[in-house]
Amino acid sequence: MAGVISAPDKSTQLFLVGWLRWRLFVNGLRTATGKLNLAVHIIMGAGISLGIVGFGVLLGVGSWYAIGHGKPALLSGELGLVFLVWLLFPLVISGFGAEADPVSLLRFPLRYSTFLFLALAHGVFDPAAAACLYWLAAMLLGIAVASLSALIWAIPAFAALAFLNLLLNRAIYAWLSRWMAQRRTREILGAVGILLAISGQFISPLANRYGHRALPWVTRLASGVRVLPPGMAAATVTFGRAGTPGKAGAEFAGLLAYCGVVGWLLAIRMRAEYRGENLSEARRPSAEARAPVRAGWNVAGFSPTVAALFEKDLRYLLRNTMAYLTLLTPALVILVLSMGRRGSPHPKITGFVLGSSTYFPMGVAYVLLTVVGLAYNSLAYDGLGLPMLFAAPLRFRDVMVAKNLLHSMVLAAEVIIVFVLVQFVGGPTPPVIVGLTLAGALWAFLMNLTAGNLVSLYFPRKLKPGQMRRQQASGLSVLVSLGVQVVVAGLAAALYFLSRWAGNTAWCVVCFLVLAGITWVAYRHVLDLVSGIALKRREALMAELSRPD
Amino acid sequence: MTDLAVETNGLCRRFGELEAVRNVNLRVEAGQFFGFLGPNGAGKSTTIKMLTGMLEPTAGQIRILGLDLANDPIGVKSQIGVVPEGLALFDRLTGPEYLTFAGRMYGLDRVTAAERTQELLDFTGLADRTKSLIVDYSHGMKKKLAMAAAVIHGPKVLFLDEPFEGVDAIAAGTLKAMLNRMIARGATIFLTSHVLEIVERLCSHVAIIHHGELVAQGSIDDLRSGVAARHDDGQKLSLEQVFLKIVGGERAAVPELSWLE
Repeated sequence: MAGVISAPDKSTQLFLVGWLRWRLFVNGLRTATGKLNLAVHIIMGAGISLGIVGFGVLLGVGSWYAIGHGKPALLSGELGLVFLVWLLFPLVISGFGAEADPVSLLRFPLRYSTFLFLALAHGVFDPAAAACLYWLAAMLLGIAVASLSALIWAIPAFAALAFLNLLLNRAIYAWLSRWMAQRRTREILGAVGILLAISGQFISPLANRYGHRALPWVTRLASGVRVLPPGMAAATVTFGRAGTPGKAGAEFAGLLAYCGVVGWLLAIRMRAEYRGENLSEARRPSAEARAPVRAGWNVAGFSPTVAALFEKDLRYLLRNTMAYLTLLTPALVILVLSMGRRGSPHPKITGFVLGSSTYFPMGVAYVLLTVVGLAYNSLAYDGLGLPMLFAAPLRFRDVMVAKNLLHSMVLAAEVIIVFVLVQFVGGPTPPVIVGLTLAGALWAFLMNLTAGNLVSLYFPRKLKPGQMRRQQASGLSVLVSLGVQVVVAGLAAALYFLSRWAGNTAWCVVCFLVLAGITWVAYRHVLDLVSGIALKRREALMAELSRPD
Repeated sequence: MTDLAVETNGLCRRFGELEAVRNVNLRVEAGQFFGFLGPNGAGKSTTIKMLTGMLEPTAGQIRILGLDLANDPIGVKSQIGVVPEGLALFDRLTGPEYLTFAGRMYGLDRVTAAERTQELLDFTGLADRTKSLIVDYSHGMKKKLAMAAAVIHGPKVLFLDEPFEGVDAIAAGTLKAMLNRMIARGATIFLTSHVLEIVERLCSHVAIIHHGELVAQGSIDDLRSGVAARHDDGQKLSLEQVFLKIVGGERAAVPELSWLE
């Protein structure tokens, strides 16, 4: 057979992949929503960029001071911070973007070196990595101003640290992807991740309570940080600056050894992926006992349709470990705050001087923010099943009522839990505070449901249940939600301080209830519009939410 | 008053510049096993989405069992069952949970929905996978479940978009048995399929859509004799031959690929 050709060279393949990414980006802008989302990202990105630039200046000045005034610990601390941001930020926020996974290109004759390069290149273009590279450059500039001899050692040391971070980031991503390929392990890892994040909040109260006893251990542990990559990079620079090239070289060799080990770990996974390892969702078939079919639920006061939808949504929520663990955090936060207050001999150390009257409103505010997050993208998890809702003889109003009912029940349950916890840990909450909080929460919740029902239909974003990778609501949805919170918080604060100024906070309760009544009318009006909007937008909704993974 | 299960008049659907469905006038009588055929991209799925209320027509009228879909969508949807293109399953539910959910969406009471769910699970052979989530089902199991959900309320008209695509012979057998039972109790079945042998075996009537236009409609025998008369070769044509002659697939010479010579 004539015309069999060899695989294109690496540069051609890289060019083609670059072109593919560019076309995907440009084609994504064909819709109005795509353009609006880009605009939101640019605006938000500009704000974040300002912070990154400012922090870079701070790090540069810090490096200059560390080298110029002989403070190696400061340099080590700065590098440690960059190291942590580079590794942790992408894992939490954006590191799991499947759309840029080079595995999807394996059907083509992709060379292993190109495959590996693409995996690493994706890491460089991650926003966190780009910010960290800029920070390292700013630190180099600071070092250059302080001492040129230190710069000679800093350049290779920082380059090695950056390369190590790149490898480490990809290695963690690749190994986590391996473990998260199955739904169950993914949810377990997600749960562990959330518990770790929550346990991080215990550090401050525990330090207040047991800090003096733990100090020797912490000091011993801190000396161990010296042998971690940021410590080694800092030591390379400080030994080089001190004119001890042997020691500097040894530290640098240590850094390279880290690169070697991490590179080897990454290579194991990348080789497996390149060979076409199948990370499938499917479980091994197992025999299941036949179980009788149970009748569905009844929900008093609601139609059978709403009851069935509510049951479905509750089952979805309970099978989404990430979602319901997030919903549990407010209760834990109350515990954390109370530990900080009771554990500290000097309450101001915790940063908050809290009384029992502030726990309840704070807890409820946190609960509200957590629960309304669901309301702004309430169709997110319906995915492939959504067309069924359009094919069935129901009004879409019922779908939203069921979802709002679920959100309300979650909110009510959490408010009760928070209330009970607060009574235990902070003492009785004054009745007027309870009234104010509940009335304010009712109004705020209705405002959010009203806006959330519209936003869910106009700016939906598909989310995968139980998944830890990049899972963000639409930028526009976030913007609207932010706007509603600002308006509600601003008005609530104004009314509260006005009523205090007038000497009767009970008036504020009445104001909140009146506002809740007005918002209820608006909520009902929006519910009446929902069926028509959903019908008009059914194609867009199904295109966004029901597209295959 | 009417014997027509599905009737469309001047049905059109545009996607920007593209006219995906053009002036389609369908007539499907009640009780017919009706095959809706066409090459890829001809407008089959677009038509079926419009007939089931999942896509708004740009123009034209749709009547299902005499009811106007635009004026009474809930009334129409109560009487039809649908297995759409992507199956539309809530895959984080178990099979029984999904079936009882579907039953209640179509107005069955809790007990009836549960009883029918049990029967359907037994019929489709899914009764021993009652605890697995649908996401863990095989493709064939998902198809059977989607079909079960579409018939749980005993619809008078069943719309199926490629029901046999990607299913093995055993699953296909179950699906065909279910469809035959539906026909036996007087329901109308409207299906699209690329497997013309199956359509020929199951359907009594077909319509063929090509480039968004209805180019043929009638009983398979009528189409066969019509094509045979036109081509005058005296042979009994298979549905595939009829289809190819109507959409011009036979006439088009298969171009050569220079590098595969």
